[in-house]
Amino acid sequence: MTARALRLVLTQRTALLVVLLLAVVVTLTTLSQRNYLSAPYDASYLAATLINAVPLAMLALAELLVITSGRGGIDLSVGAIVSLTGMVFGFAYGQWGWPLAPAIVLALVLGAACGALNGFLVAHLGFPALIATLATYYAFRSLALVVNDQKPINSPPVQALYSTATSVRVPLVGAALPEVPLGIVTFLLPTALVVWVVLARTTAGRRLYAIGTNDVAARWSGIDVRRTRWSAYVAAGAISGLVAVVTVAQFASARPDAGTSGNGMALPAITIAILGGVAITGGVGRVAGVVLATLLVVWLNAGILLAVPGNEGSQFQLFALGVVLVVAALLNALTQRRYGGTR
Amino acid sequence: MSAPVLQRPAPVRAGRVLPFPVTGQEVVLLVVVAVLWVALAAATPAFATEGSIVPLLVAMTPIALIGIGMTVVIVTGGIDVSVGSIVMVCAVVVAKALVGSGIGLPAAVGLGMVVGAALGLVNGALIAFGRVQAIIITFGTLNLFRFAGLQVFGSATVEGIPATLAPFGRGDEGRTLGVPHSFVVLLVVAALAWAYLRHTPGGRHFFAIGGDQDAARLAGIRVRSRIVLGYVLTGLLAGVAACFVIAQGTSSLAASVGSGLELSVIAAVVIGGTSITGGRGSVLGTLLGALLVQTVRTGVTQLGWPSQLSDLFVGVFIIVAVGADLLRQRRRPGRRRGTT
Amino acid sequence: MAAAPRLAVHGVAKRFGAVRALRHADLVVEAGSVHALVGENGAGKSTLIKILSGAETADAGTLLFDGREVAVGSTTAAMALGVATVYQEPQLFADLTVAENVFTGREVTRGGRVDWAAQNARVLELLDLIGLPARCATVAVGTLSIAQQQQVSIAKALAGDARLLILDEPSAILTDTEIEVLFGVVRRLAASGVAVVYISHRLDELFTIADVVTVMRDGETLGTWPIGELSVRRIAELMVGGVLDDRPREHRVADGAPRLELRGLGLEGRFHDVDVAVRAGEVVGLYGLVGSGVAEIAASVYGIAPATAGTLHVDGAEVRPRSPRHAKALGIGLLPSDRKQQGMFSFQPISFNISAGNLRLLSRARVLVDRRREREVARRMIERLAVKTPSERQPLSAMSGGNAQKVVLARQLVDRPGVLVLAEPTQGVDVGAKDEIHRIIAELADAGTAVLVVTSDLPEALRISDRLHVVRDGTTTAEFGPGATQVDVLAAAAGAGMASAGEAGAGEAGPVERQP
Repeated sequence: MTARALRLVLTQRTALLVVLLLAVVVTLTTLSQRNYLSAPYDASYLAATLINAVPLAMLALAELLVITSGRGGIDLSVGAIVSLTGMVFGFAYGQWGWPLAPAIVLALVLGAACGALNGFLVAHLGFPALIATLATYYAFRSLALVVNDQKPINSPPVQALYSTATSVRVPLVGAALPEVPLGIVTFLLPTALVVWVVLARTTAGRRLYAIGTNDVAARWSGIDVRRTRWSAYVAAGAISGLVAVVTVAQFASARPDAGTSGNGMALPAITIAILGGVAITGGVGRVAGVVLATLLVVWLNAGILLAVPGNEGSQFQLFALGVVLVVAALLNALTQRRYGGTR
Repeated sequence: MSAPVLQRPAPVRAGRVLPFPVTGQEVVLLVVVAVLWVALAAATPAFATEGSIVPLLVAMTPIALIGIGMTVVIVTGGIDVSVGSIVMVCAVVVAKALVGSGIGLPAAVGLGMVVGAALGLVNGALIAFGRVQAIIITFGTLNLFRFAGLQVFGSATVEGIPATLAPFGRGDEGRTLGVPHSFVVLLVVAALAWAYLRHTPGGRHFFAIGGDQDAARLAGIRVRSRIVLGYVLTGLLAGVAACFVIAQGTSSLAASVGSGLELSVIAAVVIGGTSITGGRGSVLGTLLGALLVQTVRTGVTQLGWPSQLSDLFVGVFIIVAVGADLLRQRRRPGRRRGTT
Repeated sequence: MAAAPRLAVHGVAKRFGAVRALRHADLVVEAGSVHALVGENGAGKSTLIKILSGAETADAGTLLFDGREVAVGSTTAAMALGVATVYQEPQLFADLTVAENVFTGREVTRGGRVDWAAQNARVLELLDLIGLPARCATVAVGTLSIAQQQQVSIAKALAGDARLLILDEPSAILTDTEIEVLFGVVRRLAASGVAVVYISHRLDELFTIADVVTVMRDGETLGTWPIGELSVRRIAELMVGGVLDDRPREHRVADGAPRLELRGLGLEGRFHDVDVAVRAGEVVGLYGLVGSGVAEIAASVYGIAPATAGTLHVDGAEVRPRSPRHAKALGIGLLPSDRKQQGMFSFQPISFNISAGNLRLLSRARVLVDRRREREVARRMIERLAVKTPSERQPLSAMSGGNAQKVVLARQLVDRPGVLVLAEPTQGVDVGAKDEIHRIIAELADAGTAVLVVTSDLPEALRISDRLHVVRDGTTTAEFGPGATQVDVLAAAAGAGMASAGEAGAGEAGPVERQP
């Protein structure tokens, strides 16, 4: 019985993540109840920290699409796309007086255009994805910084966006749960839903899995490998554009280094995608896994901050992220060898 | 043992024994760098002075030095995105030792090398024995090493670093007869690496591993130990580079040191003609790639353009360099990589 | 007292799971001889070679090398003994030079450094021996043609002072002149004491190069004969066995215009003047040995490597398929020859594999996947093709070769193509599944599909084809009707030519001449 359970947990990534999530939440809640933490680790705290989950999960979904497309698919430029489209959004909404909806659409379209460039380089010209997105990372980052002379956009309309980052009830099941940040409902849930529908229910999703599993066989089956791969990068870019809007609202400022400060946003996104069960070789990956992985990381990080406050805490988060990634990767390799892979 | 196979004496032809050491791509890079230098000298007379060229050479040395190690790693088919964090850890350890224990220059460099090599060993062991993709492992160690470095840092910065490492810096102590010491060190290391990679069996084996790991193993090559060696070397060079970075900085060291460094290194290596898929690469190319990137950065500053524009040019150069390499690969008849 | 033979193999056997690849193999190879090893696909040749070269270990039996019993536990152990194998796929490093490839792992050093001069001198000697120009020594191997790369592989084997050289189908990819050069090398090697094991399907060649021939069939070595005692026909008879699988077959005589026609089709360097017509309701076979060009003909119809000469017609209209997608759109169904690389989505379930090329058909409004229909179609196919599986959700990687092949075939059948081209439909498939796949092909023809089967499996070609074209040297030569015997066809394909395909018995006067 335990051997089968172990096998299930190792091969079904979502099962493993649920187990880990429960372990983390239970441990930290217990610590909190015994007053080991500097603040209560309870449901409303968990709900509040979800604000961090929005950009993280969305970018991880973008990486999910790109990595699943196979042939070394990866996108190092998502953070830079966030910075660039964030600035353009800031211009449109904060300076040129556009209404909110068209400005959001602009960010989305521009993000998609950046992704289209990535997709063209990788799918049509045959550049290794790592190189192509490294180059566009540099290019987009530079444009984001230059376009407003390295200055953020803080005009009143932009600042007013901050007030939209309130907490709201989750629709349908909201009565039983604490209020969650607005971004979850307006951005993350729709994005996750759309990506899930596309991957799990549409022909486009099937084509993506096919080219990620074996793009030679996909070609022989009559699938347009180039176009499918290209569209994965376009979608990733579009999602990055939406993340830019979220980030601008979150900080009430369109910052030129929004997605590229420190280690950038791409790295945590890729980490979470891998943790969520996305195979770096392609063809494997589920929205549920990515979302669970995001929750795990966000709530673990939140707990760490309470257990180890201040600077030490944010350092420890780095450690946790690194350990989690290495262990997840080793686990992936182990299950590949013993059980033939994860699902 | 059986008799030798040949039946008639074969004439030994005189002439080239090895392929020419400089590839077409490298010549192009050299020309591009030369053209840029001439153009910059014409546009801003301040460029062609010692006051500009020397700092340029000094500034490129850390990237180029780590690039040498990264070239080996990429040639074997791997990658190391944790070098930025390795530099950070080595920098903080060396800086603290300089401040706290007042060690001398040789000891500082030695300490950097040891710490860097140890971290590289962690990478190499996980990748060679864990059999996981290098990119994932080094994404993980990037965080782990950074954590370790921040632990050593304690507060946000290290203050009051003595000028022990000044011989590797930008100032006058950093040069002899106008030639910067750090650049000389780079050239020496590059020459040694070049000789090793070109003229020893071990060096050639790196290329074999990158070309076809299974065939390499069948040919009797110790694949695992070669792979580990590549990462250890990279870590070691990152340790030395950390000393250069301290020397080129101020008397205080911030915790953000090394952040994003890995991308510059990979850019230099890739522009230099090393193939990201492994099996092909050169130290000379990496040096030229690093020189090109630094020239772009310095040039942009000197021309008074926004300094961030240099990144755009770097991105374009990466595309052009790799694109040219891809075109060359397409023309090969015998190569049958995964078809699409 | 004669010296001990270079290699003596007694009673070697090997099984892979339930499959007995080798039942009982005896082989004695003398030093200085060229020893041919022949047998049909699946006869056990490659397994025996893998055991000799250390890639596999035998379950039973003994190996003696120069009279001493040895255990060849690994490829390095084999190399240490002096066993060198040259495979069809050159195991070379594309970016290293020829000289470096020859010496990888065995570099000539002087004080830690590679002694390039000495290494190059030796390489030049070897290249001269092999027949490659000296300037090759310093070019990257990846820039050479496949045939030249094979020659480098041979040089590499020789550099290691091979005492037993195994050549696996070396002539398959060589031109006539290159083959002559190869023979020269082999003769010189044998003369200097090396034992050469030469595996080939081209029976006529053996009469030029081999001293003795060992025939294998069904995992056993039947015996060894001096070449002078044999003829092409005799060897074919031994390979095939006296009792043929002569199940009475229904021969279809289809009428009507051909649905698929190849007229004078040619691809430079690969094949030329290929004329084949396939009518609705019939199965036409294209049989050829490895290297005959038959695989390239299929690839051309698929759109992978479009022809440079001649025309292709579907239902009378001239077409030029540019990609498999295009070929499918033209109504041609394609089963690729390399299941693992070109056909299988390994870790995906059966239903995914079947629907992969048929998403439009199995969708609602072309966007949403109709999962209910997908399941139904998958289940129907599983039943129709007798796929052994607990459910349509089972991943292909967990299935046997035969079952996986049925799934890949099922994918082609979903949209009921009018023309179906199947390449190597039962390669790597066990006997039971093979039978079933043949049954399915017959049913498809009976239902009106025009089926073209391209195969290098002779019994299969005969069993399922209503008409059989033999491909040799890049062109269609003979056409056989239902009455053909395996020996006839093999002789035609292996190059005995029409003249000596008659009832000449054993013991021809002298070696058979190669037909120009």
